[in-house]
Amino acid sequence: MAATMKLSTLGYAASMLSTGLLDEQFQKLLLLQDGSDPNFVVEIITLFCEDGERTIGELTKQLDKRCVNFDEVADFVHKLEGSSATVGAQRVKNACIQFLEFCKEKSRDGCLKTLDTLRVVFYDVSGKFKAMLQLEQQQAEATK
Amino acid sequence: MDRRRIRVLLVEDEEIHRVVARVVLRAAGVEVEEAENGAEAVRHVRERVTGGGGAYDLILTDKQMPVMDGLEATRQIRAMGVVTPIVAVSSDSLPSDVQAFIAAGANDFAPKPLTKEKLGHILAKFGLA
Repeated sequence: MAATMKLSTLGYAASMLSTGLLDEQFQKLLLLQDGSDPNFVVEIITLFCEDGERTIGELTKQLDKRCVNFDEVADFVHKLEGSSATVGAQRVKNACIQFLEFCKEKSRDGCLKTLDTLRVVFYDVSGKFKAMLQLEQQQAEATK
Repeated sequence: MDRRRIRVLLVEDEEIHRVVARVVLRAAGVEVEEAENGAEAVRHVRERVTGGGGAYDLILTDKQMPVMDGLEATRQIRAMGVVTPIVAVSSDSLPSDVQAFIAAGANDFAPKPLTKEKLGHILAKFGLA
């Protein structure tokens, strides 16, 4: 696999940047990738998608409880906020920031509403990330 | 004369942040050791102090971690008499979070994620560039 992403994959990433789905942090990650760590961006994206899915599952469970532990909910949201900031998933990060406000207010309704928003923005960006990785994989196989 | 590589202890429980920080640190030419929580970090530091392996040049630590958080790890490292610069790298970046870390004995704070620019600033600040 080439040390850098193919031009078409970079084009895909560029469209995610231009629509505000990703911010300049993702560009910084792309620039960090070099020959000594050719799978760095793939690894980061994969970790973000897997961790994010697990976190959203946990949040759903936590908010379904009769007695919600808002500190525990906030811990999960905080983790997703951190990983979304790391990968440049701007809208996911912003949804997490809003979520944390409702956790502070101990508002189950606010948290549930924001969880819906979080689900939408997370699956939007993770779906596009997965499509990008698939494109990269297909291009790598085509050039073998 | 060969210049010894800077030795950094990275204290971070989440893999995604360790992967990014590792790449940023290695790109800067530093030697990285990792701890997944504050208790491991304290153990690593103690081993260097008692084992004569030479102190770390820099410790980068997250705040929220299982077993022992970054604040407690910072307090315990300082209680050993270790003066290595400790920089908190955390998403918790309210003034109260920063003040808590400084009160625990940290030297500085950088909001996540760690980037080349932030690391460059940290290394320059502590004369490690």
